[in-house]
Amino acid sequence: MSEPSTPGQYHPASKLSLVRILRRSLVHRRARSISALVALTVSAGVATALLTLYADLDNKLHKEFRSFGANIVVTATANAVLPPDTLSKVQQAAGPAALTAPFAYAVATTDTGTSVVVSGTDFAAVRRLNSWWQVSNWPDPSGQPSPALLGQRAANFIGDEHSVKLTFASKSVTLNGTGRLKTGGDEDSRIYMPLEAFTAWTGVTPSVIEVQISGGTAAIDTALAQLKQALPGVQVQPVRQLVEGESRIVDRTHALMYAALLLIALTVGVSVLATLSASVLERRRDFALMKALGGTQIHLMSIFLFEALILALAGVFVGFVIGSAAAFAISEINFHTATLPRLSVMPLVLLLNLAIALLAAFFPARVLRGLQPAALLKGE
Amino acid sequence: MSEAKVVAEIKSDWPANTTRPDCAVISLEGVCREYAGRGDVVRALEDATFSIVAGEWVAITGPSGSGKSTLVNMLGCLDRPTRGELKIDNVDVASMSSTELDRFRAEKIGFIFQQFHLIPYLSAVENVMLAQYFHSMTDEKEAKAALDRVGLGHRTGHLPSELSGGEQQRVCIARALINNPPILLADEPTGNLDAANQAIVADLLKDLHRNGHTVVMVTHDPEMATLAQRRIALSHGKVFCHPVGGPIVTLRR
Ligand SMILES: Nc1ncnc2c1ncn2[C@@H]1O[C@H](COP(=O)(O)OP(=O)(O)O)[C@@H](O)[C@H]1O
Ligand SMILES: [Mg+2]
Repeated sequence: MSEPSTPGQYHPASKLSLVRILRRSLVHRRARSISALVALTVSAGVATALLTLYADLDNKLHKEFRSFGANIVVTATANAVLPPDTLSKVQQAAGPAALTAPFAYAVATTDTGTSVVVSGTDFAAVRRLNSWWQVSNWPDPSGQPSPALLGQRAANFIGDEHSVKLTFASKSVTLNGTGRLKTGGDEDSRIYMPLEAFTAWTGVTPSVIEVQISGGTAAIDTALAQLKQALPGVQVQPVRQLVEGESRIVDRTHALMYAALLLIALTVGVSVLATLSASVLERRRDFALMKALGGTQIHLMSIFLFEALILALAGVFVGFVIGSAAAFAISEINFHTATLPRLSVMPLVLLLNLAIALLAAFFPARVLRGLQPAALLKGE
Repeated sequence: MSEAKVVAEIKSDWPANTTRPDCAVISLEGVCREYAGRGDVVRALEDATFSIVAGEWVAITGPSGSGKSTLVNMLGCLDRPTRGELKIDNVDVASMSSTELDRFRAEKIGFIFQQFHLIPYLSAVENVMLAQYFHSMTDEKEAKAALDRVGLGHRTGHLPSELSGGEQQRVCIARALINNPPILLADEPTGNLDAANQAIVADLLKDLHRNGHTVVMVTHDPEMATLAQRRIALSHGKVFCHPVGGPIVTLRR
């Protein structure tokens, strides 16, 4: 579209279109346009930053809790052991995605005469299930025979960690400690060794199977029910504290995010409302004149709504860039991780901004409808 | 002479006017306009009955607050009568929806305002094109020709703020003319102008009248009023009308 480049000059075929009217209005009334644009940019920017961080945090939370170990334990009833096929039954009932690890326990004596809890387990399974364990060096499955992990408290009363001599029911084994284990819990005073060697030595089979179901509370509840049904006569219990804690934290984070978003949308909505309303009210006379020139309600509304639309769209684009940068900076500073821009939040941001703009347009639209050109244009 | 007497005197002359309803481009029959005030009702116009024929130049006069703007706004379809029948070009205004009225206004009426009412962010030519925009198609050449006609061919790209009052009023006249409406309504067109610019505007109106436009003009200025063929005097919302082709008399009160 062409237009006069300098006053007094113009293109002969030039037309007056809605676009030209809007551009003139937006450019001429710069201060008003910019303040409306700033308000709509802020709303889009904040929404982008929050949604981006939120999506990222949601991912992180789920990963963190996933790495937080078992959320269901299967245990034998008092003084009994689990039937030999329990592990495969658990895996079957919980589904292939579930992580499982068996544990057998016995109390042995060290060569200095101290009692220590020894546990036989599957190192590969434990390593996946309890990935949060701090282990200095996991046993290499194809490495030396009789490897062991020494809890850091247990290691304190052991002389030579590479040659740990233990006695159980007058049978002795010598284990080769490959690394130390630190969890901050009971694990720290135990010694872990491969289950097969443990059972060969002590004759004790697993009494505990830890299960980790990924997903929310609903997935865990389903798995619990399935396990209980598949395994009558054994105890199937959720690791309650963790399960409830997880969903509570996630729920709270959700609620917090939504509340913040709603609050900001409201605040910005009010300020956009004020700006757009003022922008129409100060042009009441212009709109009255347009009506006098034969402009219909639709003509007037389209000028006004397209103006709001243009500002809302411009706000989304500028706001998305600023919001994404803010999200990146916030996560870099607080979590030391990079949160990259997510295009997937764009539709929601767009929707939010359009909703704000339309809502803010509602009041001035009412003013326009009640506009009395006669009262506004009269002489004297 | 009392008001009632004036009315009686003028009424006796009316048949000269109402016998030619076929030519009437504007006709009013018992038109009232009331404003709902605080508690009481303000009667801005009472029982107005008269016609204006095509090609006439009519001056509407009267003191401030006598209902001149109220009348002109209804003639311009910006406002509707509370009671009575108003026909513009033989169409009853009451029969039209507000959207039809908007359309009708674009076709039939050209407005000239005392305060010009130009859009501040549009150039002179764009202001003229705005009337085209709401009417049908915009055509910059035509709009420029209209500005040329009012002697502003060299100022088409200027914003209203860059023009003098007289120049702004001429843009306003060009805008009123652009769609070639049969009726021109001017509410105090020279009220804000100095003598030199008043003369220019008066000449333009004379031109328009000569070219067959019906001109209805509100004015305070007796000199401007003498340009018109006929006067419609208003006093406290009552119309004192002179017949078509009748003498222009000043109301004594
Ligand atoms: N919107 C309105 N509401 C209430 N009263 C009005 C309104 N417009 C005009 N009036 C009243 O109607 C009367 C006629 O007003 P107006 O037509 O503007 O007079 P004029 O143009 O002759 O000065 C005045 O008494 C005025 O106060
Ligand atoms: Mg007036």
